[in-house]
Amino acid sequence: MLGVTIRGLTKRYGDVAAVHNLDLRVKPGELIALLGPSGCGKTTTLRLVAGFLRPEAGEIWVGDRCLSKASMVIPPERRRMAMIFQSYALWPHMTVFQNVAYGLRFNGVARSDRERRVRDMLRIVRLEGYGSRYPGELSGGQQQRVAVARALVVEPEILLLDEPLSNLDANLREEMRFEIRRLHETFGITTLYVTHDQAEAMVISDRVAVLQAGRIVQIGTASEIFESPRTRFVAEFVGKTNLIDAVADGPRSVIRGRLRFEVASDDLAPGTSVAVSIRPHRIEMLRPGASSADDTGVDTLPGNTFLGVVQRATYLGDQVEYQVEIEESSVVLRVAGSAPACARAGERVTLRVAPDACIALADRPDPPPVAS
Amino acid sequence: MWVITAATLALLVLLPLGWLVYASVGGARGATFAYYVTVFADPRLQNALWNTAVLAFWSGLGALALGAPMAWLAARTDLPARRTITSLVLASFVTPPFLGAFAWVMLAGPNAGYLNKLYRGLTGAQDPLVNIFTMPGLVFVVALYTFPYVYIMIANTLALIASDLEEAAALLGAGRFRVALTITLPLALPAILSGFILAVLQALALFGSPAILGLPAGFHTVTTQLWALLQYPPKTEMAAAFSVPLLVATALLLYLQKKALGRRGYAAVGGKNAQRRTIALGWWRYPALLGCLAVLACAVFCPYAILAKAAFARAWAQPLTWDNFTLANWPFTFLATSTQAAIVNTLELGILTACVGAGLSALLAYVTTRKLVAGHQLLGFLAVAPVVIPGVVLAVALFIAYTRPPLVLYGTLWILFVAYLTKEMPVGYSQSDSTFRGIHPELEEAGRILGAGRLRVLGEITAPLARSGIIAAWCFVFIGVIRELSASIILFTPNTKVISVVIFDLKEEGEFGAIAVLGLFMLAMTFAVVVLVQTLLGRDVLGARPSGGTAG
Repeated sequence: MLGVTIRGLTKRYGDVAAVHNLDLRVKPGELIALLGPSGCGKTTTLRLVAGFLRPEAGEIWVGDRCLSKASMVIPPERRRMAMIFQSYALWPHMTVFQNVAYGLRFNGVARSDRERRVRDMLRIVRLEGYGSRYPGELSGGQQQRVAVARALVVEPEILLLDEPLSNLDANLREEMRFEIRRLHETFGITTLYVTHDQAEAMVISDRVAVLQAGRIVQIGTASEIFESPRTRFVAEFVGKTNLIDAVADGPRSVIRGRLRFEVASDDLAPGTSVAVSIRPHRIEMLRPGASSADDTGVDTLPGNTFLGVVQRATYLGDQVEYQVEIEESSVVLRVAGSAPACARAGERVTLRVAPDACIALADRPDPPPVAS
Repeated sequence: MWVITAATLALLVLLPLGWLVYASVGGARGATFAYYVTVFADPRLQNALWNTAVLAFWSGLGALALGAPMAWLAARTDLPARRTITSLVLASFVTPPFLGAFAWVMLAGPNAGYLNKLYRGLTGAQDPLVNIFTMPGLVFVVALYTFPYVYIMIANTLALIASDLEEAAALLGAGRFRVALTITLPLALPAILSGFILAVLQALALFGSPAILGLPAGFHTVTTQLWALLQYPPKTEMAAAFSVPLLVATALLLYLQKKALGRRGYAAVGGKNAQRRTIALGWWRYPALLGCLAVLACAVFCPYAILAKAAFARAWAQPLTWDNFTLANWPFTFLATSTQAAIVNTLELGILTACVGAGLSALLAYVTTRKLVAGHQLLGFLAVAPVVIPGVVLAVALFIAYTRPPLVLYGTLWILFVAYLTKEMPVGYSQSDSTFRGIHPELEEAGRILGAGRLRVLGEITAPLARSGIIAAWCFVFIGVIRELSASIILFTPNTKVISVVIFDLKEEGEFGAIAVLGLFMLAMTFAVVVLVQTLLGRDVLGARPSGGTAG
């Protein structure tokens, strides 16, 4: 089992850098999701790894083989990789069997073995008996599984997936997420998985790398990314959040007007501007009377307790989302509560947030967007 | 490899045009504008210019008047037999215009014309009802065979405009007429304008129809005048100078057409999933159908019928009674040595040009769509550049370029081959280009990453997927070649005649029976190839937009 090491990778289109000085280490057998909005460079990165593109700078290594650098690119057919494309890229003039068997011709598998391996693989992706069909005769989900089978049957060293689920409908997509994860656990192939869907990235991957403007801005497990985002962009892109601009007034606290938040930090330099990220489900909402707080000086109570007025309560089936304006401030927080709704628009409520749910993010401006 | 392809293209396009301009300013005898002055001071040539302008403008307008309503009826209403009408428009589209002109000589010639005889017989009048040998007659016949260009442009655009755009306006309170005027018409306007320009371009470049209908009436157009200038002894410098305005006009019109279409993007708003509801014509269905059939009768039914009649009659002007019936026209035509040679020449040239043209255009299209070389845009541009060269002008240019060393091709079939290849390059390239655009690059990349090299992928994945599209390109080039007249008529020599030239010569001898036989033979070949293409592509040939090529 081999890992992938990417060092200082840069790819420019004209004057814009689609990938900018990108570093990434994929451990042997690991599945890393490259997550980001369109134009962040994630697909370009994948195509660089596949050898379809030549980098302007940087290197791509698999194990102890250097596959790409500015002066030399080993062509895709000699990289021992497999790729699953967004369009599936099944060859319409070949049967399912021929599609899946195609790659076996090039890696020294004996003719007699090929048929057995194709059949085994079709069984694994639950397409037994579909070998003689043409791709045009299959449903989207079945085509997707043929693409998976075609990529896995060659037992590649590295597997690359480029938004493989984006053409499926919502139910099937959810099902296929677990399917791909199951296959990964069965085969343990080192995998790079490109997606713009954060839920998909979280379900499928061992680690998530969030890309922005051609760079990796944060890499970690799904919970690390979600619970401890490092930048404003990551906090906003991965899950819903409230972002509040504020100024540090102590190593562990920030103020915004009359509001003061205790935050999960202990080294803020007083006077620096920060953004505080609070996930809606981490805010506790209490109706008046149910609260232990009295009505005076609430903004200085420990444990970040505020009084507010519900502006809107939106029923979402499994939960209710409230918009609560904190009194005597312009701050409106989104709060997630369980259904049924416990407060209506216009009602006064008390909000409480634990300090460790308030993540202070250095408020440096985000790098400029880069076209892909 | 790419360098050779690029050089070939440049040679095909730039060399003749270079010679054309060089010759027009005096060539070896030093730079002079004397030829331009002579040409434009000559009242006969001024007349030809004026006639061409009149012909092109009114034919374009006529084509618009015929094509636009039919396109709307076929695309958006519940007109009966819409598919049949579209097929018949296709038939009119592939009918060589000079054949249509011959048929109309037989239909509406002042003395022996069938319609005039019918009219005299019914009314006892002495004067003919219509005389096709006039400018209005010429405009009428030209419009009959150029209206399909308008039809295709407009029908394809109307099919893209989603009905919700119209229904949105209707919901806001606009009446049916107001919707058509404020929504549909503006959305279709670029296509209407562009179709009109295409029709004008066709009329400008035509040689056959004005030669057949205009010359007997004593008037020249630019194309016939160019042909006359190159009759022995050839006045090449004058012809070169006289070609330039036609070339400039064509380039200018094509530029305008591109501009008109450039704003077309918004017409497609709504996407392909948008529904298109048909408009109920009600009681108007039948008058509308009758109108369409009348146009098609003039363009297809009557001409084909008179050709068929002439092919089987001893005297084409007499009624087709048993005494007048004969099969002799067929052996008479096909046993003539000159005809046999012309058929062989035509097929040789057709097959050779189609093979080279389809191969070259496929190679080019692959290189340009996959962006394999720097400067691929330039290659694509060169491949479609011949669109701006009318056939007659191309022939004048080739005549000048290849009657002198180092390449003396005049007098051989090769000069015709070069002319056809250049002329059909844009058609072949457009077809190949859309073929390769339709093959997702990921299909090739999937092969590469699984271990197949570039050439193997080209052979095992790209080629099978592109095959039917490339064969269609072959067919389009082949059809273009076998019906070509306007360049052939200038470049042929007694040993290198082709079918269209033989048909044109037979007119001088008044052999209408033989003309009809050869014409039907040519039509049969054309239709066989069209059917082949339709089967291959599984769609209407009309669905493919014509690239604006000029027909002979």
